[in-house]
Amino acid sequence: MNKKIKSSLAVVSAAALAFGIASVPTASAAAKTYTIGYQGPLSGGEASTGIDEQNAVKYAIKLFEAKNPGFKIKLVSIDDQGDPAVAGTVAPGVASNKNVLGVVGPAYSGATIASLPYYKSVNMALISPSATRVSLTDPTSPDFGGPIFHRVVGKDDLQGPALAKYATAGVSAAKVFVFDDQSAYAVPLRGFVEAGLKKVSGATLVGGDSVPNTTTDFSPTIAKIKTSGATVVIYTGYYSQAAVFIKQLRDSGSKVVFAGGDGVFNQEFPKLAGAAAEGSKVTGVGGLAGVDAKMEADFKKKMGVSSGVYSVESFDAANILLAGIKAGKTTRTAMLAYVNAYSGKSISGNTIKFDKNGDISYGLFAGFTTKNGVLVNTGIIK
Amino acid sequence: MFAVLIDQFWSLTIAGIALGFIYVLISLGYTMVYGVLRMINFANSEIFMWGTFGTVITSRDIFHYTQTSEPAKGAKLVLVLVTSLLMSMLVAGLTAVFVEFVAYRRLRMKGTNRLATLISAIGISIALQEIMRLLTHSRPVGAPRILEKIILTEVWGANIRLDTVITIIAAALIFFILERFIKLSRMGKAIRAVSMNEDAAKLMGVNLNRVITTTFLVGGLATGAAGFFYITVFEYTKFNIGFTMGMAAFTAAVLGGIGNIRGAFFGGLSLGLLEVYASAVLGTQWKAVTVFIVLVLVLLFKPNGLFGEAVQTTRA
Repeated sequence: MNKKIKSSLAVVSAAALAFGIASVPTASAAAKTYTIGYQGPLSGGEASTGIDEQNAVKYAIKLFEAKNPGFKIKLVSIDDQGDPAVAGTVAPGVASNKNVLGVVGPAYSGATIASLPYYKSVNMALISPSATRVSLTDPTSPDFGGPIFHRVVGKDDLQGPALAKYATAGVSAAKVFVFDDQSAYAVPLRGFVEAGLKKVSGATLVGGDSVPNTTTDFSPTIAKIKTSGATVVIYTGYYSQAAVFIKQLRDSGSKVVFAGGDGVFNQEFPKLAGAAAEGSKVTGVGGLAGVDAKMEADFKKKMGVSSGVYSVESFDAANILLAGIKAGKTTRTAMLAYVNAYSGKSISGNTIKFDKNGDISYGLFAGFTTKNGVLVNTGIIK
Repeated sequence: MFAVLIDQFWSLTIAGIALGFIYVLISLGYTMVYGVLRMINFANSEIFMWGTFGTVITSRDIFHYTQTSEPAKGAKLVLVLVTSLLMSMLVAGLTAVFVEFVAYRRLRMKGTNRLATLISAIGISIALQEIMRLLTHSRPVGAPRILEKIILTEVWGANIRLDTVITIIAAALIFFILERFIKLSRMGKAIRAVSMNEDAAKLMGVNLNRVITTTFLVGGLATGAAGFFYITVFEYTKFNIGFTMGMAAFTAAVLGGIGNIRGAFFGGLSLGLLEVYASAVLGTQWKAVTVFIVLVLVLLFKPNGLFGEAVQTTRA
């Protein structure tokens, strides 16, 4: 099908949603209704990400309404399918719907860039739980989303040090070998990992390599690892290559620690690598379960499902908008000013405060270790 | 800089030879077709990729091995390995014949110029890759471990592993058999006759179509065997692995002198060794650069590749 059908569906649903909001009575004697939006992929191949994020937003709204009886929150679902082309057709409808005070999202970087022009013209505050592309908060880039774009998710400059820390944890005087797959994602991340290693006491960088992402024969890299005497090997790249590599490394008789970034964070990794993947360390986003087990139980009770990957970030993002509503910021301009000046606590315990480009100062990365063929969350890397 | 090479010389050499033999078998697919048709079979990379799936299907779907099952032992091991090898050769051989029928024969019958078949070969290679992409949902496919990678012995600090030993011996054997087939059999002689002079061969009563189909079949069988060894060593395949391996094997064929079977042998082996040595000494990012610098240098002094004269003289 279906790009055509899909986008026309998206237009129809955007229109329906705009009309739907227009007919909602905004005034009520007991409780006043306010509207926020969630934008992300709610249908299509990426739908699970968006549905998980929206569930966390709904959960935040539930808790907020229970605590503040005078407020009723209406959530507008904005389905961009994670696709820039679709985002460009749904964003104008949301921008022209005056009731929407702010948006949690967009979930994906490409969709964010496509939506930005429409939201910028109406001063809509955006807080993304998962758009990690560096250019979005880079003032020298044409993709720059300031002053309306914010994100509560850490970029790779924060993931690098977290990965360095997690990979070397429990290894005294770690000798580290870092290699990348030459992709636009992996090369910068490798730089951030190497920078982060300098702050890990006792760890030294003993070597590196840069391997095209089409490689299947890793014997030269393994030879280098052996010669360097490394005790920890970190790979910045994707899971399918990581699986091929780790098999060859283990087959060569090496028992060094292996770690990878969120490109390797995929349950397909242990499936592809089998027994060789056991004990491998991977950084990823931890979700509510990794932060607060009690809250996760409550989430499951109230929402009927477990929380998803970016649940902490989505929950935090929604809470910022809700706090704005409680503080009486009921116009978009007031809400945007409130978000820009916001300072508060994340449920992860960190302080959320946006810098002038819309970034937060911490990255919330969880460590995962392969046990019995599954990546198991071992909690947030501190 | 050379510390890695000195320290790990024998491990690297063994890995390079094993990789080299896989290249040798794939470059046979290129070189044989070139020898007969004077055309590059651009679909050979995808024939290789289909061949790797022959092994995966045999071990996973026929013998029901999974990622977590124990490696096979004894007679069962031999049975599974031999079946996988034959299956890969069969799949790749049939694919090659199919390519010949669809992309070459029909156009040849109409007397189109050579470039037309070149394009139709590229077209069918795209089709083969897309079909596999759809069948596997664009995902990488892990192959179950059939052969336990036992370290047999240690020689000068290098581990001699069972899978590499089998790959080297079996690939060399398959190469030898094919080489003898071309040299000694009646069909092999017909293939060489067409390669030397198509018109004269026709006048001598050689059935041209049958020769060409057989050439594709034999090239496909060799390429399929390469697919089997690739899976045995790397246990991984994906719809797009053909391109890199095909490119390397094509380079090997040109290096050795395309159209020449001995050339494919030495070209493949030197390329395998060159790749691992260059990666170890200069860094893997310099692998392709080194390979192509060497290729350019070789072609500068021997324009037809290391063993290329034979083709050129017969052609003139």
